Amino acid sequence: MEMRHVTAQGIPYEAWKDNEYIEKLVTELQESGTNVLVGSLDKLINWGRSNSLWPLTFATSCCGIEFVSLGAARFDMARFGWEVARASPRQADFMMVAGTIVHRMVPVFRRLYDQLAEPKYVIACGSCAISGGPFRKSYHVAKGIEDIVPVDVFCPGCPPRPEAMIYSIMQLSRKIKVERFFGGKNRQESQKEFLAAHPIEDVAAANID
Amino acid sequence: MISLGIFGIDAVVFAIVALLTGAGLVWLAMWLAGLISPRSFNPQKGEAYECGIPTRGESMARFHVGYYLFAILFLMFDVETVFLFPWAVKMRALGGEGVLCVAVFFAILVLGLVYAWRKGALEWK
Amino acid sequence: MANLQEKVSRLFPEATFEEGEILLVNIPDAKLHDLVKSLRDDCGFDYLVTIVGMDWVSSLGCVYYLTSSLSKEFVSVKVQTTDRDNPMIHSIADLYRIAGIYEREVYDFYGIIFINNPDMRRLFLNIDWVGYPLRKDYDANPEINPVSIENERQTDHTDSWVEQPDGSIKHERPRVFKEDDFVVNIGPQHPATHGVLRFRTAVDGETIQKIDVYMGYIHRGVEKLCEDLGYMQTLHFMDRLDYFSAHNYHHGLCLAIEKAAGIEVPRRAQVIRVMMDELSRIASHCLFIGTFCMDLGATTMLFYTLRVREQVLDIMEKTCGARMTFNYDCLGGVMADLHPDFVKDVKALLEVLPKNVAEYNKLFTGNVIAHNRLKNVGVLSNEDARSWAITGPSGRASGWACDVRKTHPYSVYSEIKFDQVVRTEGDSLARFQNRVDEILQSKGILEQLLEMLPEGEYCAKVPKVIKLPVGHWFQVVEGCRGLFGVYIESDGSAKPYRLKLVTPGLPAAAVVDHITRGQKIADLITIGGSMDYIVPDMDR
Repeated sequence: MEMRHVTAQGIPYEAWKDNEYIEKLVTELQESGTNVLVGSLDKLINWGRSNSLWPLTFATSCCGIEFVSLGAARFDMARFGWEVARASPRQADFMMVAGTIVHRMVPVFRRLYDQLAEPKYVIACGSCAISGGPFRKSYHVAKGIEDIVPVDVFCPGCPPRPEAMIYSIMQLSRKIKVERFFGGKNRQESQKEFLAAHPIEDVAAANID
Repeated sequence: MISLGIFGIDAVVFAIVALLTGAGLVWLAMWLAGLISPRSFNPQKGEAYECGIPTRGESMARFHVGYYLFAILFLMFDVETVFLFPWAVKMRALGGEGVLCVAVFFAILVLGLVYAWRKGALEWK
Repeated sequence: MANLQEKVSRLFPEATFEEGEILLVNIPDAKLHDLVKSLRDDCGFDYLVTIVGMDWVSSLGCVYYLTSSLSKEFVSVKVQTTDRDNPMIHSIADLYRIAGIYEREVYDFYGIIFINNPDMRRLFLNIDWVGYPLRKDYDANPEINPVSIENERQTDHTDSWVEQPDGSIKHERPRVFKEDDFVVNIGPQHPATHGVLRFRTAVDGETIQKIDVYMGYIHRGVEKLCEDLGYMQTLHFMDRLDYFSAHNYHHGLCLAIEKAAGIEVPRRAQVIRVMMDELSRIASHCLFIGTFCMDLGATTMLFYTLRVREQVLDIMEKTCGARMTFNYDCLGGVMADLHPDFVKDVKALLEVLPKNVAEYNKLFTGNVIAHNRLKNVGVLSNEDARSWAITGPSGRASGWACDVRKTHPYSVYSEIKFDQVVRTEGDSLARFQNRVDEILQSKGILEQLLEMLPEGEYCAKVPKVIKLPVGHWFQVVEGCRGLFGVYIESDGSAKPYRLKLVTPGLPAAAVVDHITRGQKIADLITIGGSMDYIVPDMDR
């Protein structure tokens, strides 16, 4: 099925046609009957969101240093709009998991993901985050983060060059551009509904003896 | 004709419109965001953020009085700065008399600052 | 060494000796504390380099490596216990401050309990971890220790086994924090902890009362992984420990294996290795300056210093093929010969270095705010530096001349003229200035090396599979952050029986509690930054 002429501000048409993943995503959406980029409002909001993705400063090991280089003057993530790296998950858009996640770090990592505000995305950066990397056989390393959090983009490398990281965040940006903001991703769940569906006792601080 | 001392009706109307627009825009932005934003809930989201680790102990703890002192001093000098702005805008029109008034106002507050300085409120102990 | 052997055998007739490059003293556990005390007080061995936990299937035990800051001599002490269910050895935590942390690591990996250690908890692994991973009979079944998203159990108590006057051992549970302490977590996810390190801090307002360090959030079990790999395969982990001293760590491990296997490295390869080491040092110190100033708020410095670092990485990329995980030093030499542009590029770099360093000093070092934040913050005295095993530029800032390139020269360092940068104030400003000065020293070293770069082979011929004879070897090199040591024990097969890595990051993080008490939270950031630890380096 030929892909309808998808346009998005700032990305040339060739980048859509050349991109197998985005093509598949768009054809899926079209087949299921939804109108891709339903209207100017969707387009407007997605343009705003995808051009200013704010990463959470989350770096555990070597890949984090390439992320720092990404922020520096040579590779400059500021020209894309991502230079505001927030330390607090409440203010960040996406989490670039750069580095190995080990057993002890898994609850911390999961907690940080839970505390990110919607809409949130995850990029698995580096082979350690994708599958455990060179440390896969270790007794203390989680074999990839896919079982812990849902991943949007995988960026292979050990460590991936800053240019590769730029490409992966651009891919996330393209993914956001074809999202339907109204309906679909835009679930609205209230605290009351959640508690009614999942009754939990008082979420107290961890037991300290 | 409504007038407020030396201000005419125009100024009053402008002031009220400016106030309402400011408040209105803020309210509009928050209402729109609440309407169209995606939202989800999970237990960890509502908890305090402490670098990924659950917090320890009560939040109703005793806090050091130094925080209070710094906050009060900051607030006072911030308000003083706010008062200086209108004078600065109309500095030329108010002339020498205006400078004198402001200088006296400033001097009183500087005295307060010197007192706080000498009493050691600016050090952290 | 003969003197030392005589001296020890006179005082401790039950000791036996093994000759070798480093004298090894076998001592029963009952006399361990007295022996180490006498070595420290009478023979001047004031620096505990490492405690290597070992599992010799019939027994468990430790090998202690000590050295003297004056005579530069090494000595090692070996102690064993045959009780595998409840192994206990006396602690030396009261003699060397760093021993407390080293013993926690050995307890974590082997389950050996150290009597009289005031804080006998696991160091890297979860508090509820089942088993001791580096034991030879460890069950690595993932069902025993599954990945869990539940929060780790927190506790304010620690364990301690204290010897009573009548000889029995009592298990006590002292408190780490008092009940009404206000405890805050700084880290693991924090922009200024330089990695995933967690400081559990008891604060009173802004003043820090006590810090409890939790490591292990990036513990990947490198030492255990190496026990399953051939010697050539163990090399590639060295890039991923301290990723800024990648060349230096590779160099250290290669030297250790080559010493054991009797491989001779051609001179050209030796010079190339040292050149790459010094280039790494420049890049590492540049990044340190950048991130340290960024932590303090002077974000501009990061962009200035990363410019030089990118220039260094370009030089390395042309030769090694990668920007950070070079995997360049290999057994017998280096993986590939230098790129034809190498000498020209390095000369261009050395030309711009003095101007850049002058710029950094102009921007930051003389600034009054920098002085207020760095001067007299986190003062570390000379004895404390030796007792806490703080080496590298941080240790040299406290007046301890501990540069391994001068004390135990390896490769071609004995032929090169350079100054060791030593300051005596011991505060954060001294630690910062040491690194700035070392950049210029590295420039001098590189100029000399470029002159003496010979033609020749870049790698000796080595067998496909390296098998080391039975024995143990210890090698130290100067990483960018301090002393990096490698201990290899081989049982004659193609895989190491035990590969222990001694890293400078572990003492650097352990001493933060000691020097930050009574200072403010902002000073904690300064001190943590100036100690310059890299967390995967300490966690391994």
